[in-house]
Amino acid sequence: MKALLLKDTCVIWKQMKYFLFLIVIFSAIPSAFNNIFAIVYAAMLPYTAMAYDERSKWDQLAAMMPYSARDLVLSKYVFGWLCIAGATVISVPIQCAVSLLGVNGGFSLTTVLLSVCCGLGIMSISLPLLFRFGVEKGRLTMFLIIFLVCGGAGAISTIAVSAPEGYSSMAFRQVVLPAAVAAAAVLTAVSVPLSVKFYSRRES
Amino acid sequence: MNAIELSHVNKSFGDFAIQDLSLTVPGGTIYGLVGENGAGKSTTIRLIMNALRPDSGTVRVLGTDASSPEFLAVKDDIGVVLDEAYFPEVLNVDQVGRIMAKTYRRWDPAKYGTYLDRFQLPEKRQFKDFSRGMKMKLAIAVALSHDPKLLILDEATAGLDPIVRDEILNIFFSEFARDEEHSILISSHILSDLEKLCDYIAFLHQGRLLFCDEKDRLLEAYGIFTGTVEQADSLRPEAVVYREDGSYGGVRALVRRVEVPAGFLLERATIEDIILFTVKGAK
Repeated sequence: MKALLLKDTCVIWKQMKYFLFLIVIFSAIPSAFNNIFAIVYAAMLPYTAMAYDERSKWDQLAAMMPYSARDLVLSKYVFGWLCIAGATVISVPIQCAVSLLGVNGGFSLTTVLLSVCCGLGIMSISLPLLFRFGVEKGRLTMFLIIFLVCGGAGAISTIAVSAPEGYSSMAFRQVVLPAAVAAAAVLTAVSVPLSVKFYSRRES
Repeated sequence: MNAIELSHVNKSFGDFAIQDLSLTVPGGTIYGLVGENGAGKSTTIRLIMNALRPDSGTVRVLGTDASSPEFLAVKDDIGVVLDEAYFPEVLNVDQVGRIMAKTYRRWDPAKYGTYLDRFQLPEKRQFKDFSRGMKMKLAIAVALSHDPKLLILDEATAGLDPIVRDEILNIFFSEFARDEEHSILISSHILSDLEKLCDYIAFLHQGRLLFCDEKDRLLEAYGIFTGTVEQADSLRPEAVVYREDGSYGGVRALVRRVEVPAGFLLERATIEDIILFTVKGAK
């Protein structure tokens, strides 16, 4: 698993440098949408890693090495989770600092948590499709991902802007957020074994 | 212990099938797998490595059932070089080394470094900028740097220039195979290499194993008859594997030496002769 995570990190390191730069830029702009977009965009990085794998036919070589199908699939999820966590860890302090300067663009921890759930959901929906059809054949999935990224970021930022001041509404915290967390957890729990199944079937 | 055992393996893809494939690679031997394009050599190797699951039959590698969960640990003892290197193209050899160090339990960075120096592979250049020879050398360096007991080579020398091919074959056969516990399964089109190096030869044709025997026994068992039509007609049918009638009345045939009466002068058959005549005979 560590080897596969290192491989994916090395493979998209150049992209990640730009990505980190984008997160800092997005996070420094006082807007909930930009912050959310950075986190949700992080959920797309496993897609890029899979595109590189497919181009080099890495799977053919990986099948000869001591990696299980579960490791190969789970590594992509873990990679995505780490990217989402990284984007969150970088953007939250910057947003806090911007807020302390008196500029409030709708940022709150609840919004961040919702965007993390959104990112996890996007990964959970798109990865099984990519494992089933491959990156090349999964072009339609790409459109789905773009739709989900833009739609997800837009929806959350709309909620953020229209929600009661400071997101202190009990209903928002007690209903929307727990529902989003539960949905992300359920989607992830279903998605991982489904991806393993699709990957194993594709290989055999 | 046998390095590889395939027993009555079947695998169908619709328009192509591996049919009732049984072969045994004894430990400490070099085993050549021969066959035309699409004969099933790569499929056989994928079945051996459990990258494909057979429809029926069993595969055992280094004493372990390839379909069992324990086989994952056995893969540590197997070095594989495919027809292409298939490393992600943006990696360099240093990154490949770090990834492999976390992949194989017995990864030896010093040995890897020695191979990199020997093959003169640049540390920082990306894999995509390597020539084919360099790519294959990297794949070979990786396959040999985790102390494998079994090497599986799938057309690993195809498309390489003769100098690089000779250098690589020398490593496989003069260095790796020197250890009695080390075994090699090599699939190749280059029959002269296999004839020179292998202890056993197996020939796959359209998913079926046409023959599989010790190389020396094959070379002893068969001969090439060259003579007149009358002489060829006098041979018993069991003696002739396949005969080619020339346009000037001459005949060239692959024959079983044991079935040919004394007095007939037979030439030494090469592995290439045996394979070509056997395929023609099978048609």
